Amino acid sequence: MAPDQTITTFVSLFFGVSALILIMFLPALLELKKPRDAGPRNITENNSNPMDLLPLQSIEREEKHRLDNEITKRIVEIIAALPNLES
Amino acid sequence: MIVEFLVAFIFVLSIIMMAYLVRHFVFSLTVLGILRRKELPAPKNIAYEPAVTVLIPAHNEQRVIGRILQRMTELTYPENKMQIIVIDDASTDDTGKIAEDYARRYSQIHVLRRSKNVGGKGKASALNSALGYAQHEIILCFDADYYPQKDVVERLVKPFSDPKVGAVQGRVTVLNEPQNIVTRLVTLERIGGYRVDQQARESLGLIAQFGGTVGGFRRTLIESLGGWDESVLAEDTDLTFSVYLAGFRVQYVLEAECYEEAVETWGAYWKQRYRWAKGHMQCCSKHMFKLFRSKNLSFKQKIDGLLLLNIYFMPVLAFFLWLSGISLFLLDFPQWINILWGPVQISLLSFMGNFAPFFEVGIGAYLDGRKRACWLIPLLIFTFLYNVLICTKAFFDLIVSKIFRKKHHSWVKTTHSGNGNCYIL
Repeated sequence: MAPDQTITTFVSLFFGVSALILIMFLPALLELKKPRDAGPRNITENNSNPMDLLPLQSIEREEKHRLDNEITKRIVEIIAALPNLES
Repeated sequence: MIVEFLVAFIFVLSIIMMAYLVRHFVFSLTVLGILRRKELPAPKNIAYEPAVTVLIPAHNEQRVIGRILQRMTELTYPENKMQIIVIDDASTDDTGKIAEDYARRYSQIHVLRRSKNVGGKGKASALNSALGYAQHEIILCFDADYYPQKDVVERLVKPFSDPKVGAVQGRVTVLNEPQNIVTRLVTLERIGGYRVDQQARESLGLIAQFGGTVGGFRRTLIESLGGWDESVLAEDTDLTFSVYLAGFRVQYVLEAECYEEAVETWGAYWKQRYRWAKGHMQCCSKHMFKLFRSKNLSFKQKIDGLLLLNIYFMPVLAFFLWLSGISLFLLDFPQWINILWGPVQISLLSFMGNFAPFFEVGIGAYLDGRKRACWLIPLLIFTFLYNVLICTKAFFDLIVSKIFRKKHHSWVKTTHSGNGNCYIL
């Protein structure tokens, strides 16, 4: 390979790799400079389905039944709307 | 002769790297729902609410112990069903004093003090000392720097209603993520590990890993296994494989989350990962052959277990791959211009294996709704290069200790600064 071609190849390789590195790391540098990420996740709390803790057991068949979620939610809404009779 | 050997060596290492590449892509596709998920049987007793013992080992954790103990008092699990034992492991700071203060105010909290003569020998030793004081069958573990969600106990104990479940593992989320670049990169690693890797292994019925914290196990099981192995630095990995070999399984519970304080300096990162790498390599030599001989594991579990046990050898393999590739091109192609192409091709080959875990991280961040966090993923190349040094050193240190039959490996604790407190609302 002629020396001129070798130098051209070398220079092209150098700039090509440099461009690749720049393209690869530019987003990271931007994010570090001006962080826009939401940050640590907020861990959800008390999301346990209340039905998981309220199984009903049939005495006759010894089966477990679950309350219908919708019915229970309505009951809770009704109770929440009721005035406090003790006060 | 040397050239042929190097070619064969590179070929074998490349096959191994490709196995991990496939593994990581399969995991990513699984959590995306593209690959079929294993439908887990629903917990049989959904009202399962047993009494639990919570172990919190602590060695010089005065900056963080108060935070977790306060959180323990805020958990939604019934107080009368919880026994919380703080293991003050030969602390020289105010850890014991802070814990004793909480024990005086809350009846469910107890402190087990270990003197300098018996304590300070590592987490496994501390946990073993507390086993005799645990009153309940289900034992949960939390590291002192952790901050769990309020109903984490409910979420972690529920899988134990299945008698086949020997241990459970929850998800770890980094609390002090915005601190600096180290914490941000560690966060990405955690996202890839817990949101994708662990979840996929659980979904595919493979080897879900017990991480040593935000997790739990059956007391009778751990006692039948002889407690934690104090000679192994990765007692969590050791327990994982012991559980599976005993015919039980570890269940990963993505919804049981806990904040942790990630390491904040590259020096602390080195110490922590060095301990993990060396411990993991110890587990590999301890469990690999038992894994293949076991009748309690399926074929796919054995393959996954093999890949999991050898995961910390991958950076070491990458190091030897680079050396071999460069040597090959130097020997085979003496012209100097070809030397430049050698490292490029070798890097591309190595990056093939590396891009797969990065893909996992990206998928995890996407599923978490953190698309902007993906912009930092290219920086993980530097943590990988750092891990190459860490794992290679751990590997050679382990070889030397095997040659000189050194059984004791010093446990270097991760120092916690308590800086995560400012991120708790």
